[in-house]
Amino acid sequence: MTQVVVGQILNGIILGSLYGIIALGVTMTFGITGIVNFALGQFMMIGAYATWYFTDLAMLPFPVAVVLAVALAAVAGLIADQALFRFTRNNLVNGLLVSIGLISVMESGALLLFTTTPKNMDIVIAGSWSLGAITLPRMKVVAFLLLVAVIGLTWLGLSRAWLGRATRAYAQNPEAAMLMGVPTKLLQTGVVVYSCALAGFGGALYASLFSLEPSLGGLFILKGVEAAILAGVGNLLGALAGGVILGVTESVGSLYLPSAFRDAYGLVFLVAILLFRPAGLFGSQK
Amino acid sequence: MKSSFKGYFAAALLAAAVPNLASAQTATVKLGQIEAQTGPNAIYGYMSSQGVPIAVDEVNKAGGFKVGDTTYKLELIALDTRGDPKEATIQLKKLLEQDKVKFVFGPFLSNVFVTIYPYAKQFNGKFLMLGGGTRIHEYVGQPGNEFVIRTWNWDAGPKGFGEKMVDYLVKTAHPKKVAMLFQNDSGGKVLGDTYEPIFKARGIETMTEYFEPGTKDFSPVLAKIAEFHPDYLFPGYSDAALYDIVRQSIEGNYSKKFFLVRGSTGPGMKNKDGLEDYIVYVPKDFEEAEKKEPKVKHFVDAYKAFYKRDFPYDQAPLCSSSCYDHVYMLIAAMQKAGTVDDVEKIRTTLLSMTYEGMWKISFDDHNEQVFDFDIVHLKKGGVKEVTHVEP
Repeated sequence: MTQVVVGQILNGIILGSLYGIIALGVTMTFGITGIVNFALGQFMMIGAYATWYFTDLAMLPFPVAVVLAVALAAVAGLIADQALFRFTRNNLVNGLLVSIGLISVMESGALLLFTTTPKNMDIVIAGSWSLGAITLPRMKVVAFLLLVAVIGLTWLGLSRAWLGRATRAYAQNPEAAMLMGVPTKLLQTGVVVYSCALAGFGGALYASLFSLEPSLGGLFILKGVEAAILAGVGNLLGALAGGVILGVTESVGSLYLPSAFRDAYGLVFLVAILLFRPAGLFGSQK
Repeated sequence: MKSSFKGYFAAALLAAAVPNLASAQTATVKLGQIEAQTGPNAIYGYMSSQGVPIAVDEVNKAGGFKVGDTTYKLELIALDTRGDPKEATIQLKKLLEQDKVKFVFGPFLSNVFVTIYPYAKQFNGKFLMLGGGTRIHEYVGQPGNEFVIRTWNWDAGPKGFGEKMVDYLVKTAHPKKVAMLFQNDSGGKVLGDTYEPIFKARGIETMTEYFEPGTKDFSPVLAKIAEFHPDYLFPGYSDAALYDIVRQSIEGNYSKKFFLVRGSTGPGMKNKDGLEDYIVYVPKDFEEAEKKEPKVKHFVDAYKAFYKRDFPYDQAPLCSSSCYDHVYMLIAAMQKAGTVDDVEKIRTTLLSMTYEGMWKISFDDHNEQVFDFDIVHLKKGGVKEVTHVEP
């Protein structure tokens, strides 16, 4: 049984990194534009379907398909920002309403294009790695490494590069950042587009692991928001940690408790944490 | 003067046209359909909602159908419930009260049927509902529920397809332990309750686990099941979950032998190189049937022409096709009963007749459909054996 538990902890970490990349998008968008973009799940769906399309139908190599899918999600994010989100900056309610409306539009579009019949991408990396009774599919491990690398690079970029520092400065004090010459409008658009690209990247890796349906984004945006709140909104590496904690809680919880209520285990854990740390695990308590 | 003459002439033309319009309206039979064409559990509804429009189109293009001296055309009002029971209740209300529809196809989802049931029951005797949902079994054939006919083989009982499936499994694989993994909802619970006694009666030990709707990562529950060391994994019930269960079970080395009574051959074919056994119930193996059965060939061609896309052999054309047959079966019942309005007469005729379309369809004493089906047995590499069963 110990090996089964260890196996599920590892599985939870891997799955949690997928929640983490969405959480990263949520936390960045909220910090810079003041809106919670619930439609990020749908940008993930765009990335997933695009990867499936480019790999299985256009017969492109998987890495090329991922790059194209991320680019497509970014372009879709740019269009959404210029057509919709730029009118809702720093207005939580309007931003929320627009993103919810966008969910319907994007999901209906996907239904029209791909129907509800699940799409199952051809296996990219077959086989598993086994250690005793622990078996981990290779693709899951590769996806985890890629996700951690992208989240890590994002964190590095935001903490080391000028643009990253400008972004953080804007998040802390918009007026002061503007006075220091930070191009705020461009920055806000850039963050929305980048978070959509991140979601698209998450979707591309999702497509290599799970079957696709137009409604796939709904579940993952909820997990992403949960992970962001669990970590404390605004904390970039915390987003990954929040996702991982959520993933492990769900995976291990399902082993000992009925699997039928899997989503509830993460939520109960979230509520328990918020009772003691209202700003999240890594958020500032002030 | 000239303009007033034109006005009289136009009025006269309109007056002449109105009776014709009125008689054209009376020569239409409205068919309603409430199915989940979209949403996470839409696989059955989506597929079944494709069969009916093809049949309606064919009938209308052929000039309609005759009952007595009148020729009728069909009008289909197909609504998408999205699997939402509340939405379905509103849609059924619209169909019955506004559109005055007397024949409703669907639903295939149990949770939808259970919710619309109290409302639908108020119209008992005034309309006919032809639904495939698993839980319709509990209601059909009961006094006061004459409005509903279940359009699917029931799993248990002497003619139950599930019994035949388990017999096949016992005969070919002699399993000692079977683990069941179903979605935690009405349909999943009924499956668990139905199949536990069927396996027990054959001396097979079972374990049942339920998963949350929308689950994508099945590793934890599969790991839990693997501790039971089942000979076969029996997952259900829609392809949206089955694709992931089958793949993750094989990749995680949890189980490579599968037994299914809901779902399609798709998940097995997709993972054909990794699996050892994949035994699945399909109402018809279309790939084989279209070579031998002209009616099936006609349907496949009609599907391709109507939707301008390939026929989804690996999915559940099962449902779409059975609903296609149901339109013709209903017309045959109307013609035999000599009416398109007397619902009770049409119902009695329908239940007493045998319709030979793509399937040979009849009904048991419980008002549930009985029809022939196939057991598809996939082995490693996708080698396929098909066994035809006449219940």
